[in-house]
Amino acid sequence: MAVDLSMPVLVVDDYKTMIRIIRNLLKQLGFSDVDDAADGTEALGKMKQRKYGLVISDWNMEPMTGYELLKEVRTDEGLARTAFIMVTAESKTENVIAAKKAGVNNYIVKPFNAATLKSKIDAVFGE
Amino acid sequence: MSSKKHAAVLKAADGLSKKGDISLIDVLTLAETSIRSMKTFVDTLDSAVYKEFREIAEYIHNTKTEIGHLGANDMRSKHIPEAGLELGAVVTSTEDATTKIMECAESVLDADTSDPEAYHQHVNDKMMLIFEACSFQDLTGQRISKVVETLEYIDTRISRFASAIGAEDSEAPTSATEKKRQKRKKDQILNGPAHEGEGVSQDDIDALLNG
Repeated sequence: MAVDLSMPVLVVDDYKTMIRIIRNLLKQLGFSDVDDAADGTEALGKMKQRKYGLVISDWNMEPMTGYELLKEVRTDEGLARTAFIMVTAESKTENVIAAKKAGVNNYIVKPFNAATLKSKIDAVFGE
Repeated sequence: MSSKKHAAVLKAADGLSKKGDISLIDVLTLAETSIRSMKTFVDTLDSAVYKEFREIAEYIHNTKTEIGHLGANDMRSKHIPEAGLELGAVVTSTEDATTKIMECAESVLDADTSDPEAYHQHVNDKMMLIFEACSFQDLTGQRISKVVETLEYIDTRISRFASAIGAEDSEAPTSATEKKRQKRKKDQILNGPAHEGEGVSQDDIDALLNG
């Protein structure tokens, strides 16, 4: 399945700089509809207002972490099928296993490059 | 001893003496010996207690001196706030520099390429701005060195203090806020960024996810 570059993407990170970096990388990859949120709570609110094709979220945020957001998304019938990629500096095995159990589609460890982001998005959408 | 009691003792002693076995002198000698022994014992006791109190007083005095050397007030009012300010400035300057560099990169990516000469000039200008923005590294390096100095200052004093009072580690009482923070870190698996050589690589993560 080809990646739909017009699908709305939600970037969730509490660092504006990181949001800007991911926005620019997504723009270079051809994504045109990119929105952002500063933490899990804001992201969940936005996801209930609008259907996103992909969520790219950081893990460590206040008050709601990306891990909590992932679990909330997977237990919400209306949001459960949203593709979810974790982009985080949390690189312990227990984090990866917990994210996998919670239903993450892919996991990118920071720092990362455009090629990694592209390959993980492609993998999620089966390209 | 009151005169009445004194008389009673003498009377009792005289009674014993009259029985023929023990003389009054014997009784008094025995009493004197007993009193002397008791006095020696009490004197020894006084000296031991006094020595102990003196040692405790010396320990308290030394501990107070060591607490003074710790410079806790100086740390709290000067060194720690200054280190906090330096770290805050590092965060701000790295963020400013990153923003400037990204603005330059975005401007180059969005630039009109139809006029090669103008485009070349535009790219050159932005590259110069990127070089300028990178100067943050020198300042942040100096700021972080100051923070490291503060940590060394604190480490030296605390180590000396711990050694002087012979402190042994024990579990410190935890505040409600700290307990809450630790619980959140545990529940949310917040380990933070790993150091070089720690954590798992992207390849390991891919293997874990696909395994």
